[in-house]
Amino acid sequence: MTNNKKPYVKPTIIKLQSGLMNKFGVSPYYARKVRSNIDGVSIEELTKQFGSPLFVFSEKTIRNTIREAKEAFATRYPNVTFSWSYKTNYIDAINAIYHQEGSIAEVVSEMEYDKARKLGISGENIIFNGPHKSIPALKKAVQEGAKIHIDHFDEIDDLETVAAELNKEIPVAIRLNLDSGIQPQWSRFGFNLESGQALDAVRRINMGGKLRLNGLHCHIGTFILEPNAYKTQTEKMVKFAYELEDMLGISIEYFDIGGGFPSKSKLKGTYLPPDVSVPPIDNYAEKISQGLFNALKPGHFPKLYLETGRGLIDEAGYLITTVFASKRLPDGRKSYVLDAGVNLLFTATWYKFTIETDREMQGLGEPALLNGPLCMNIDILDEGSMLPPMKRGTRLILSPVGAYNVTQWMQFIEYRPAVVLINENQVEIIREKEDLSDILRRERLPKRLRLA
Amino acid sequence: MDDIFVAVTGINASDNPAPGIGVARSLKEYTSLNFKIAGLAYDAMEPGIYMDWLIDKSFLIPYPAAGYKAIIERILYIKHTFGLDVIIPTLDSELPFYIKSRRELELHGIKTFLPSDEQFRLRSKEYITSIAAQSGLQAPKQAVVTSYKELVTAVQEIGLPVIVKGTLYKAYRAYSIEEAMSYFSKIVAEWGYPVIVQQAVNGEEINVIGVGDGAGNLSGRVAVKKMSVTELGKIWTGVTIHHPKLLEATQQFVATSRWQGAFEMECIVEQDKVYLIEINPRFPAWVYFATGVGVNLPVMLLKLALGENVESAEEYEAGKLYIRYTNEQICDMANFQNLVTRGES
Amino acid sequence: MNTNNRIARLAINEEGFVFDPQTGESFTVNQTGKVILKALMRSDSEESIILQLTEQFALSPQEAQADVRDFIHHLRAYQLIY
Repeated sequence: MTNNKKPYVKPTIIKLQSGLMNKFGVSPYYARKVRSNIDGVSIEELTKQFGSPLFVFSEKTIRNTIREAKEAFATRYPNVTFSWSYKTNYIDAINAIYHQEGSIAEVVSEMEYDKARKLGISGENIIFNGPHKSIPALKKAVQEGAKIHIDHFDEIDDLETVAAELNKEIPVAIRLNLDSGIQPQWSRFGFNLESGQALDAVRRINMGGKLRLNGLHCHIGTFILEPNAYKTQTEKMVKFAYELEDMLGISIEYFDIGGGFPSKSKLKGTYLPPDVSVPPIDNYAEKISQGLFNALKPGHFPKLYLETGRGLIDEAGYLITTVFASKRLPDGRKSYVLDAGVNLLFTATWYKFTIETDREMQGLGEPALLNGPLCMNIDILDEGSMLPPMKRGTRLILSPVGAYNVTQWMQFIEYRPAVVLINENQVEIIREKEDLSDILRRERLPKRLRLA
Repeated sequence: MDDIFVAVTGINASDNPAPGIGVARSLKEYTSLNFKIAGLAYDAMEPGIYMDWLIDKSFLIPYPAAGYKAIIERILYIKHTFGLDVIIPTLDSELPFYIKSRRELELHGIKTFLPSDEQFRLRSKEYITSIAAQSGLQAPKQAVVTSYKELVTAVQEIGLPVIVKGTLYKAYRAYSIEEAMSYFSKIVAEWGYPVIVQQAVNGEEINVIGVGDGAGNLSGRVAVKKMSVTELGKIWTGVTIHHPKLLEATQQFVATSRWQGAFEMECIVEQDKVYLIEINPRFPAWVYFATGVGVNLPVMLLKLALGENVESAEEYEAGKLYIRYTNEQICDMANFQNLVTRGES
Repeated sequence: MNTNNRIARLAINEEGFVFDPQTGESFTVNQTGKVILKALMRSDSEESIILQLTEQFALSPQEAQADVRDFIHHLRAYQLIY
């Protein structure tokens, strides 16, 4: 190609429709967001070294976010500990960063419990939540001194069995669900406060004489945009604790108020963008400490645990994906086939990610769909965005994707990609790209079915 | 006399008009200052774009949903290419953005005159009862609901008929539980939770619009009674009124809340009882009515934004009529083409 | 290229505003789109359009071919050609 030719921009034609005659529209591409690097490492370098798709985590963002959150609470209440929510992202390297930053572990299954122990976290630094804890799992947790948060009456029975077997009294907390003024009210987990079920649970524990209640736990929901809900929640929890003290002489040593703080991700169906609608962490800290100080007796500062997951990790995670092919749909929209789909971004069902390209894109935005590699109609990462024409090989950077994706991803027809961590320009693999051996390792082919 | 560059949003003077054109007209009629008006539009077909005697130049802007960066970028572009001293946003959905960005805009030399975040939240429909009490008004019984169960309980407590409302937009009158439930689901589907259930108060609906200076003073206000409305519930004809109790309550509302910026109070008067139904933190689409009776609220707001002193408006006359009418305009495609291809006229 | 007179009657301005006086529809095209659209209005063949693009712009014949094909599919979706 000679140099005197004009630079090329892909052809576009767009029909003007009333209500849609705005070239700036709602498209994230008005700003034509370009991201040539993540924490100083170029997208090109990352994909050259580790391939595409690729999950990339920024250690700097992770550390800054947890430090900011700790600061927001520590300046308001003297006795706060963060507990890293494993289910949000339990790659060892990610867990280790939070533990280095002083967080204990919050696990919701035996697998997560084992993972925390293997990483070197002692039992007493693990909060064991969740509706499914087998008796062997409970026994192990009791022996190792974990904080067990009871979800249902059957679990009280199970724990008493374990207590009898080990011949020891077990300190426990119960999970509450309550009306904090927001919708939907999570009533599936724990014991309901308003109906008296929670009090029944405490009476039941007292009656058994094998368990000792010393904590209250409650987790009101997810992506909660109303900080005031936490104020209501903490007030109700503290009031309940004092009622138990008066009525049954029980002393509550700690409160675990769960998680649910939003990240700056755009929840589908919301109108305002997250940078306008998502309140800063300080507002949550303020409301929670107000709730505590309103309800606590002067001079009483019981331990407060927070299980924030999404709000701490989401914005530290990116997925680099590549345009593999494109086609024109019969309705005129453009469809791009990417090398990553809902297999890797499970949360695409609920969130609309920010889309960035690794270089400046030319041309008018046109209605487009981003489809993944799966041979399934539901494999849509984004629809209804106005995207400029993109050629094969264009890299897209989707964010924030740090929460729940590298735990909920599925191994369906494709290998899961590498996950890397950037720390001061150094890129380290924290989970290797899968290969066939990962898939075959647990399979057993009976001799009679062997083909060769 | 130096030109003052003002951007006004909401220039879609259609059958469901936004306030922008009323604001622009009020500014243009104030001949002691030279206003250059930029119309900020969301669609190339908004009628204001084609009303060149009021709007000097139009720009398409990204929707509030496009995010902070996109909107700021566009506003700064308008500042550099056209000039921009003051922005007057007139649509509810824009206000959270402008309230949040006021300091950044100010740093770029762009002024606004808006309620604080706290005032904006407090006037929201959930808190209307406490505002009414502070202003010496009655408030209809109401409940904020987020489920069918709560809705049914609320309707039983309040008594039929009820008004079912969204927090930002939409309000329906329901005469039965079933009707209330269907409006509830309609509002939730379109605007999300929560939904407000309010006692349907009988009486005459009266509106007061005004501007507070942020220090507790009421710069000006006008009360009107809507005489007829369109099928969409928009004013078609109206008349100015003097209701002493209501005007006193307006004064009190501004004094206690130290309201900053434009507001519209919707009230229902039943004999000597005045119920406060809603406070909107912006001008209504018929804001020119006030200007026409000698109380130029948009100019007051603009002067306050520029930090100038504003004397309280003189009393207006009761019994002035407001008649809206339709008009047609014929123009060639040039402006439309420019808006579509360049994003500005 | 099989064009009908629908595409031939379109009015295109310098900035890429396209108006169909018979149906009242309007469209916008970018510069490259305009080059292709004008060529189609002259009933140029697909091969000739590809050649025109590669002569004027810095791009490979392969990309030109893919993009012209996509553009024509798009015009079909809008029923501007059949």
